[in-house]
Amino acid sequence: MHLLEILNPVAPQRAMQSALQPNPRPKSLDGKTVGLVWSGTHGGDVALKTAGEELQKRFKNVRVNFYTGGNYPNPPHILKQAGEECDVVIGATAD
Amino acid sequence: MIEVEKMGKPAIPIVSGRFEGDAVASSRAFGMPDLKWVIVPRIYRNLAHDLCASQTVAAMDDIVKILTASGDTSSRKTGPEPTSVERFEGDDRWDAVLRMNQEFMKRDLGDGFLLHPPTKQAVAALLKGTRLAADTVVCDMPPGFGIATVEKIAVNAALAGAKPEHMPVIIAAVKALSKVGGHGGKSLLMSTSPNAPLLMVNGPIGKKVGLNPRSALGPGRDNEINIVIGRAFYLCLKNIGYWYPNQMDMDTIGTTRKFVMCVAENEAASPWDPYHVDQGFKPNESAVTVFVTDGELDVQDQGNTTGEGLLKNLAYGSTFGTRSIQDKGGGERLIFIPPDVAGPVGKTFTKKQAREFLHKHCYHSLGKLIQYMPLKGEARVAKNWKWLENLTEEQLLQITVPVVDGPESFYLAVVGADRAKTAVFPSGPSPATVGIDQYLP
Repeated sequence: MHLLEILNPVAPQRAMQSALQPNPRPKSLDGKTVGLVWSGTHGGDVALKTAGEELQKRFKNVRVNFYTGGNYPNPPHILKQAGEECDVVIGATAD
Repeated sequence: MIEVEKMGKPAIPIVSGRFEGDAVASSRAFGMPDLKWVIVPRIYRNLAHDLCASQTVAAMDDIVKILTASGDTSSRKTGPEPTSVERFEGDDRWDAVLRMNQEFMKRDLGDGFLLHPPTKQAVAALLKGTRLAADTVVCDMPPGFGIATVEKIAVNAALAGAKPEHMPVIIAAVKALSKVGGHGGKSLLMSTSPNAPLLMVNGPIGKKVGLNPRSALGPGRDNEINIVIGRAFYLCLKNIGYWYPNQMDMDTIGTTRKFVMCVAENEAASPWDPYHVDQGFKPNESAVTVFVTDGELDVQDQGNTTGEGLLKNLAYGSTFGTRSIQDKGGGERLIFIPPDVAGPVGKTFTKKQAREFLHKHCYHSLGKLIQYMPLKGEARVAKNWKWLENLTEEQLLQITVPVVDGPESFYLAVVGADRAKTAVFPSGPSPATVGIDQYLP
C-alpha cells in the first residue's frame, strides 16, 4: 500500500471570512414599498413589472418603484437609492 | 442584491434554472451564503414577453414566501471548508495518484487531464522559485475572490507540473488578472460568452524559461512551457478564483481558449519596441500581460508585400463581430502579428501609426454590428446612441462606423513563425501588465 499525502489546491474566499446573514423579512408586504431593480437586459423589465403588479394584487397599498442603471451590474448609486427608498427589493439580470 | 441586503433591506434576485449554481457560488463570493432567490425555468433574455410574464406569475408564491417571514430561513448547506492536507491510499504510488485524480475530477478541481500530485515536497520545491514567503497574499483572485497566497499558487502550479523557475511568471500573471479592468474582469469571466485569459510574457525571462514565441498557441513539445505555465494559471483561476464551470464560469458553449496558454512576444523579430516597453517597463525587465479574449480569427495574407497593403488586409479582416453601443465602449482587438507582416509594416509605420491606420480602415456597417442587440426594450444603449432608435433597418445598415473606439483599442504584439498569417482576438476589458522580476528568488 502507498499513502499519498497532498496539499489542497482550493483557497478560502475573502468574503466568507466575514459572511453576513440575510435580513429579517416583514410578516406581510401590506403598505410596503417594493423596489424593482432592472439590469437593462431584454425581458428582465417585463419580469419585474409583472412581479410588481402581482404583489399589488396580493397585498394592500403596495407601492412599486422601478430602477435601472442601464447596465449590468447595476451601478452602486442605483442599488443605494433602491435600498434607501424601499422596504424590500427584487432584482433580475434576465439570466 | 447582496449590496441591498448589506444596507439592511430584504432583497431577492430572480434566477433562471441553469444559473442556480452561479447564484450559490456568487452568494459565497460576495459574502452572504444564505441569500435567498427565486428560480424560474427559462432565461428571460430571449423569451417572448408573454412567456416572461407567465413564468414570473408562476413564481409569485415563491417570491412572496422568500420576501416575507413565511419563507424558508434555513441555512444553505455549503459544505465543509477545505482541509489543508488530503490523503489517498493506493496499491502503489501510481495507483494513489490515479485515485487522487479520480477524486479531483469528481470535485472538478482540474482541467480534465491527468494532474500531478501536489505533495509537500513538490510544493516546497516550487516555493524556492520565488523570494516571497509562502503565506504572502498576492491578491484576492477574481471572479470568486479566493485568497491567492504564494503557497496556494504553488499548490496549483504543482498540479500543472510547473517548475520552480516558472513561479515568478505564474505569480505575476495571477496578480495581473486582479488588475484587469472591471474588478479583474469579474463580469467577463462569469459571462455566458467564452471570455478567456491569454498570457503574454515580455523580456529576458521568456527565453530563460523556454517560452516559445513562434507557433506559440498549439499543442506539443515546442510549447511545453507555454502549456505548463498557462495550465498553472488556469488551475489557480479555478481553485483560487473559483472559476468553476456552471458556477462562476457560465459559458453557453465554451472555448478551447480556456485551456489557457502563455506565449512570449517574438521580440527578436519585431521592428518595434516590445509590448511591455509600451507599458513603461525597460527592455531588460520581464513582465507578463493578461488579456481577456472573446474569440480568435486567422487573417491570412496571400501576397501583399507593402506595409500599407498588409495593414489594410489586417484592418478589413478585423471587422468581424459586434460593436458595443453601451457606455462601456466599443471593445478591443488583440493582434498577434507574425514577423512576415510586422517586418514590412515596420519599415514604413511606427507601432502608433500602425494602430492609427488600423483604426482608420477597420470600419463596418453599424446595422450589422449592432444586430445582436435589438434597440427597443433595451436600457443599456448609451445616451449618445439613443438617436438610432428612430432609424429604419436600412438606414442603420448604411451607416459605417469604426469597429472599436480608437487606435488605443488595438493591442499589437509580434508573435509567430514565418508566414503572413495574423491572429486577431476580440478582447477586453483593458489588459493588465505586471513585472515579473520582483518575484524572482
